[in-house]
Amino acid sequence: MNDQWTDRLSEYVDGELANGERAALEAHLTTCAACRGAARELRQVVARARALDDRAPKADLWAGVAKRIGAGKVVDIRSRRFSFNVPQLIAASIALIVLSGGGAWLALRPRQTQPSTVGSRFAPRGGLTLAVSTGRTDAAIADLQDVFERNKSRLDTSTVRVVRQAFSTIDRAIAEARTALEADPGNAYLNLHLADTMRRKLELLRRVNAIAAAQS
Amino acid sequence: MARQTLEEPLTRDEPAALADAETVDTALAASGDASAFERLYRTHVNRVHSLVRRMLDADEADDLTQDVFVRAWQKLSTFRGESAFGTWLHRLAVNVVLARRKTLGVERGRFQGGEDPLENVSARRVTPEISMDFEEALANLPDGARQVFVLHDVEGYRHEEIARMLGVVPGTSKSQLHHARMALRRYLDR
Repeated sequence: MNDQWTDRLSEYVDGELANGERAALEAHLTTCAACRGAARELRQVVARARALDDRAPKADLWAGVAKRIGAGKVVDIRSRRFSFNVPQLIAASIALIVLSGGGAWLALRPRQTQPSTVGSRFAPRGGLTLAVSTGRTDAAIADLQDVFERNKSRLDTSTVRVVRQAFSTIDRAIAEARTALEADPGNAYLNLHLADTMRRKLELLRRVNAIAAAQS
Repeated sequence: MARQTLEEPLTRDEPAALADAETVDTALAASGDASAFERLYRTHVNRVHSLVRRMLDADEADDLTQDVFVRAWQKLSTFRGESAFGTWLHRLAVNVVLARRKTLGVERGRFQGGEDPLENVSARRVTPEISMDFEEALANLPDGARQVFVLHDVEGYRHEEIARMLGVVPGTSKSQLHHARMALRRYLDR
């Protein structure tokens, strides 16, 4: 098998031929069993390549890496230059808080089949207090969010992206806390966690809006 | 993971939680936290090692993998979070491998059209470990064809990107890829 189309089969399989060439090659395939078979096998090779599994090294290589980077020694943060900007660090710290908060919630959360006892002594009475307080905070967040949307063009796109990721992380945490509170409204930890998470969103919005304002 | 032992799953999806954790670990590692960097290493070492092993000889894979992570530690200051850490690390690994090739003067010959590059590959039966056979066939490709095949078909780079990385024109990348595929196809025919 070696005709004028043989060397173009990979481009055909990858969809890289121009329309005219593709039509001509497809016409050729109707009459050339060898090229037709080759094209089918090339697709199998591509599929096999994509399905390759990553395998672990036979030995743990971390010890060698750790030795070379000086892991285990006290690292002077001031000696390392890093260029995460303020919003990125805010996002990272918020994610850390949310994750650790989620972990604490998992540890404290009672199983569904068991009545809640944790925190019941501290439960907001009737849940009304919670609804009122989050309502105010919701309004404040909405106001600051509007300001952010108006001023975000003053920030560079990577900063806006990182801030949005942080918002997304916080919003998920807020939603989870609210969902959990619906099932267990008297849980003191969850109430505090929700309030703290919303407060952090307020702080983030204030800081980001201040940064945006400073760009004007 | 504790989450999986709970009767009720979290509403939050696992990939998002892992991405958040990685964002945190990346920031911590950038500030000098080696424990955070070890977590990043554990997450990505298999992928990096496989890439290095496929692009260079297997006996160099361990050393080069360590080089990649040491380099990542040194260059974390340049990571700006514009892509996922894994994407950044992977590109760094490719650059380390290509630099290593230059250092070694690896030029074991571009693909010679008239020869079968897989002459020495043993003809194993097709077994559940068929990917091992494929890996062996891949390792026996001539260097140029092997690089392009790994970068394009395994790693998903485009010809234009590969051409820039290897210092060739896209047409050369396409040609090498086709030769590699045809060679592997012939092996798979056995």
